[in-house]
Amino acid sequence: MSPTLLSVRSASKRFGDVIALETIDLDIHEGEIIGLVGSNGAGKTTLLRLLSGVYRPTTGEVLLSDGTQVEQARSRLGVVPENTGLYARLTAWENIRYHARIHGVSDDEAWRRTMYFAQHLGMADVLGRHTKGFSRGMRQKTALLRALVHAPSVLLLDEPTAGLDVTSARTVRELVRQLGEQGGTVIYSTHQLAEAERVCNRIVIIHNGQVRADGTPEELLEQTNTQHLEEAYVALTADVARPRQEDDKPLSKWSSWWRGLFTPKTPKEVGEDE
Amino acid sequence: MSKSGVRVRAIAKKELVEFVRDWRTILAILVIPLLMFPLLFILFPLLLASEAAELDALVVDVLVQGDDIPADLGLMLNNSSLNITYEPLPTIEELSSPVGDEERLRNGTVDLILRLRMNESILEYAVLYQSTSEQSLEARSRTFDVLAGWEENETIRRISDAGLDPEQTLDPLQWDGEISQSDVATSGEQAGMALSLFIPLVLSVWTFSSAIQPSIDMTAGERERGTLEALLGLPCTRMELLLGKWLAVATITGVGVLLQVAGLLFAIGYLATSDIISTPSVSLTALLLLCLAVLLFAIMVVAFELALAMRSHSVKEAGSILGPAVLIILFPALFTQVINLDGIEAFWFAVPVVNVLLALRELLMNRIVFGHVVVWLVSSSLYALGAAYYAARQFKREDIVTSLS
Repeated sequence: MSPTLLSVRSASKRFGDVIALETIDLDIHEGEIIGLVGSNGAGKTTLLRLLSGVYRPTTGEVLLSDGTQVEQARSRLGVVPENTGLYARLTAWENIRYHARIHGVSDDEAWRRTMYFAQHLGMADVLGRHTKGFSRGMRQKTALLRALVHAPSVLLLDEPTAGLDVTSARTVRELVRQLGEQGGTVIYSTHQLAEAERVCNRIVIIHNGQVRADGTPEELLEQTNTQHLEEAYVALTADVARPRQEDDKPLSKWSSWWRGLFTPKTPKEVGEDE
Repeated sequence: MSKSGVRVRAIAKKELVEFVRDWRTILAILVIPLLMFPLLFILFPLLLASEAAELDALVVDVLVQGDDIPADLGLMLNNSSLNITYEPLPTIEELSSPVGDEERLRNGTVDLILRLRMNESILEYAVLYQSTSEQSLEARSRTFDVLAGWEENETIRRISDAGLDPEQTLDPLQWDGEISQSDVATSGEQAGMALSLFIPLVLSVWTFSSAIQPSIDMTAGERERGTLEALLGLPCTRMELLLGKWLAVATITGVGVLLQVAGLLFAIGYLATSDIISTPSVSLTALLLLCLAVLLFAIMVVAFELALAMRSHSVKEAGSILGPAVLIILFPALFTQVINLDGIEAFWFAVPVVNVLLALRELLMNRIVFGHVVVWLVSSSLYALGAAYYAARQFKREDIVTSLS
């Protein structure tokens, strides 16, 4: 087996009373393309944020192979958040260069690496344009270029093809596959099982904050005694999915009462009152 | 430069580049403060002068009602800039009762009616006018000037007729010599005193208000646009992030305040040539202490605003918190203007916000009181540190990664 790059050791994450992620153990090996699959609110983004060091685990730890806490070794990670996080008043190149500078990469080196991947993604000619007018696909590709600029050991992608047209989604998937072939490690969150099946060589199914299954597609079929991954997924996530939790802090009593004052009732509620 | 320094510089530089690319913000935070004082001090008086000239050029119609008008008053009225017509006095008990003539004033047939009636040796009069009409008010002002002139002449004539000296009778107390020579304060000190009444107010309010927009944009704005998450995944600490953003906001605010002061100095220079105000005499030490006070104040204010804005989930939420927060500066600033600096107790120089404002007032008047300087320097440094600590705590919050988008 390839060496372990990143380890999640008994890590959990709570937000007040809400358990976003229950205790998780996960080893990520070099060269793996891991698909984190789950419905909205399953805990994929929370897990990615733990892996990128943006969140600290409530219990347990996330470590790199040399025992360093992930928070202290972010330079080895490349992150593409769900909404890309590009600055509209900067050009694509300026967005990339900004991250490169914080990673301590020289402008020349950053440009060389950017051009290498930009040519693969068909972005070489638009690097000087402000990202304000970019399509969702162009934004996603720019964010990918930005995440790759410092040659990270692990690439973390949060729903990288969500909202993309067919061609753009395919380009992104091809790049991920290519990175995998070159020995790169990618963690790829998606709620599309079929997409994970096409791109990833290991699938982690997350549901209601728990890892329900972890293995190659064949191992998942074997584990669930099913013929298709979709059936396996349904079998593993049969219980009702919870709504998104970590972003929605419960309202205080006062806020709840105040908001209620200006919230009209639905026709159903009016009917019930009468 | 250390790696940390490089990251802080990269963050600050990116924030400034983004800021400069929005021309509306540049206009609001940099151009307006530069032009505010010159417009206020130079153009406003010019506007007033032009308005006054326009009023002087007005032709006003005055109707004089009276039967036995003194000849010299009639002469003065005819020689004035009033357009006079005469008619007999109507039969009325009180001259000031507008009954009968109200409509003529309202519809603008005449701008003013002057009623005169001789009652033995007293000339009784009333002026009917319409206070909501510029034309009528101007007529009233000119009419009063004529009446005052006639009254003065008549008073002097009657005193002389009684065998008295009018000057000795009317002006028994007289100043001897040039009044302006009697004040031992130099014109520079007087200018410092005058400026100390509003420069601290302007500096503090502008420092606070000009930092609001960039603070919100760089914190709550980033949260709302979802750009903060990508930033938090980078190998920079939250303190580096805070420092980079603080540097950017402080630079913008500093430039805004400097431009405002430059505009103010330009306006003062212009006024100084017209003898309205002199250049204030402030020593180099006082000037350096003044800059230090503003710097400490800016550290505190910017850190405080960044902290409050970072707590907010959206630009709207941050705006609704920081907008009214200007009052935190405005009230103490107004209060400080009325505090008497002579014999002031030292504790005032330890009160948040008030301390810097009082320090600015004293320094503009070129007063360097060692005890006061120590108190405001120590207290301001402590407040700045406190605000920076609070900001650091807000930046270390885990929930800042979540955004409305």
